[in-house]
Amino acid sequence: MGAEGGFDRDFTLPELLSPRDAAELCAVAGAVLGVPVAVLDAAGAVYGDGPPPPADAARAPLVVELEPLGFIAAACPPPALAEVARLLRWGLLARARLRMVSDLHLEAVRADYARLQQQNEALKISEAKYRELAASLDAKVREQTQIIDERQRQLYQAERLASIGQLAAGVAHEINNPLGFINSNLSAAERYREQLAGLRDALPAVEWQARDLDFVFADFADLLRDARDGVDRIARIVRDLKGFSSVDQPEEQVVDLNAQLASLLAVVNGQKKATIRLVTDFQPLPKLMCLPGHLNQAFLCILQNALQAVEAAGGTVTVRTRAVGEQITVSIADDGPGIPEDVLPRVFDPFFTTRGVGAGTGLGLTVARDIVLAHGGRIVIDLPLAGGTVVNVELPA
Amino acid sequence: MPEFEPDAGRLTFKLVYYGPAQGGKTTNLMQLHAQAGTQMKGELMTLETQHDRTLFFDLLPLGFRTASGLTVRFRLFTVPGQAAHDGTRKAVLSRADGVVFVADSQRSQATNNGESFQNLADNLGRVGLDIARLPLVVQFNKRDLADILPEDEIRRRYASAPWPLYFAAAIDGRGVGETFSALLRLVWRRYADEYDLGGRHGLDEAAFVAAGGGA
Repeated sequence: MGAEGGFDRDFTLPELLSPRDAAELCAVAGAVLGVPVAVLDAAGAVYGDGPPPPADAARAPLVVELEPLGFIAAACPPPALAEVARLLRWGLLARARLRMVSDLHLEAVRADYARLQQQNEALKISEAKYRELAASLDAKVREQTQIIDERQRQLYQAERLASIGQLAAGVAHEINNPLGFINSNLSAAERYREQLAGLRDALPAVEWQARDLDFVFADFADLLRDARDGVDRIARIVRDLKGFSSVDQPEEQVVDLNAQLASLLAVVNGQKKATIRLVTDFQPLPKLMCLPGHLNQAFLCILQNALQAVEAAGGTVTVRTRAVGEQITVSIADDGPGIPEDVLPRVFDPFFTTRGVGAGTGLGLTVARDIVLAHGGRIVIDLPLAGGTVVNVELPA
Repeated sequence: MPEFEPDAGRLTFKLVYYGPAQGGKTTNLMQLHAQAGTQMKGELMTLETQHDRTLFFDLLPLGFRTASGLTVRFRLFTVPGQAAHDGTRKAVLSRADGVVFVADSQRSQATNNGESFQNLADNLGRVGLDIARLPLVVQFNKRDLADILPEDEIRRRYASAPWPLYFAAAIDGRGVGETFSALLRLVWRRYADEYDLGGRHGLDEAAFVAAGGGA
């Protein structure tokens, strides 16, 4: 707004006094002074349509601020005219003040209005933003919830694995010690048996046969050999348990997945029913950078499902490893009844289980998938026409 | 920018007294009206008050005519100090050529002073005036009262500020003229060259200040 339009502009006579008002003023002032009165503008020209003042008329300025806006002129004594001019000033001043105040008020209101409009615009923008946020909130919350769930399961799993690992380490340590002295005692026992066998020539044959010592010594050797086999098996189970839980290697490392699977299968082999055949079909694999304990857990979950599928009627579970380029595929196949169509889409859902209460947590495949995903891989379930189930675990080497 | 009307031979400066409510802005103008010995002096126009508080503004016109025929006018405005009248305050402040910030010396008013000065700075920005280039004088008024901030403390606080600092008791007229003179000096320094007041109109700083009603 320029100075012309501002409340603080200089007022001109026409702004404060209309020609009609001027005519009325002239009439009233003329009646008071007894002579005709004219209103002149700032330049001295007659204002309004009254007659011009006589040449010898006196002039009195009409001042609102500093300089005259106009004059009144009449042929009368100057002091009387000045008094009338002062009277008129009251009216002009009052009008000027009213104009200034109302203009100032308008100016302030306009500025406020402009500011309100700006705020309104800003509000509209933010409202649109919030509307959009609200619309996508549901999806966002669901997404975040899913991520949190996943993380929680991974955490739970990691802790569970850690405690299994600690337990396995403790058990292995405790069993290895007695195994050591059992082993050396067995060796001593074998030596003693051989020494005792030397008595055969020293003792009377009658005594020897009466006590059936030929059988005793032969059986003694068998017992010791069986005992040693048993000890070896215990040692192997302890070793596999340690390997499976990876207690010694909690960090990521490069492993041969075939060896990992072999140690896992050794553990499982002892648990499975005799009616189930466990077949392996390994091919050389590139080394894999992974958390071996976690991957073992994933394979165990899948393997347990496969074993359970053929538990009732007996059958075969085949573990096959293949490498194509940089991708490793581990297939765990069973020839059980397969997965019903309505169940298939839900097998990875947390806490979904077809087994009775207490028999399964419904977390097995969920955990397996989480672990495989964390390794950058994926799990694909295949239902061959011939029957059974094939679970393919694909991992990038 | 002062309003220059070459045809009418008139140069008008708009000077605004700003500051917290009831800090003595109107009193400053009343004293100037009584004291100022300018060639032209209008009536002090007071536009509506409520309980002694300015609702719109006060206006005191002062002026003089140079030998060269130029009419120099100063229109002194006050703003309403109350926070609620910010719209009015901003409108009065717009197009200002100089500002006197009238602060209240009482200890209890320190916060109000600060808020009001911040408001001045904000509003200057809003009406497109640069506080760094605008002639601005700070006056600490009400030196006649008890429980006021001591002078040296105020001086210390304002030591790093670029604005001239004056102390006044406007109610007795003390410091009012000095403050106004200081503003006139800044106005001269800011605009004299632009309007050739020294060359064409034969003025100098002292003459300008004296003719404008300063000391």
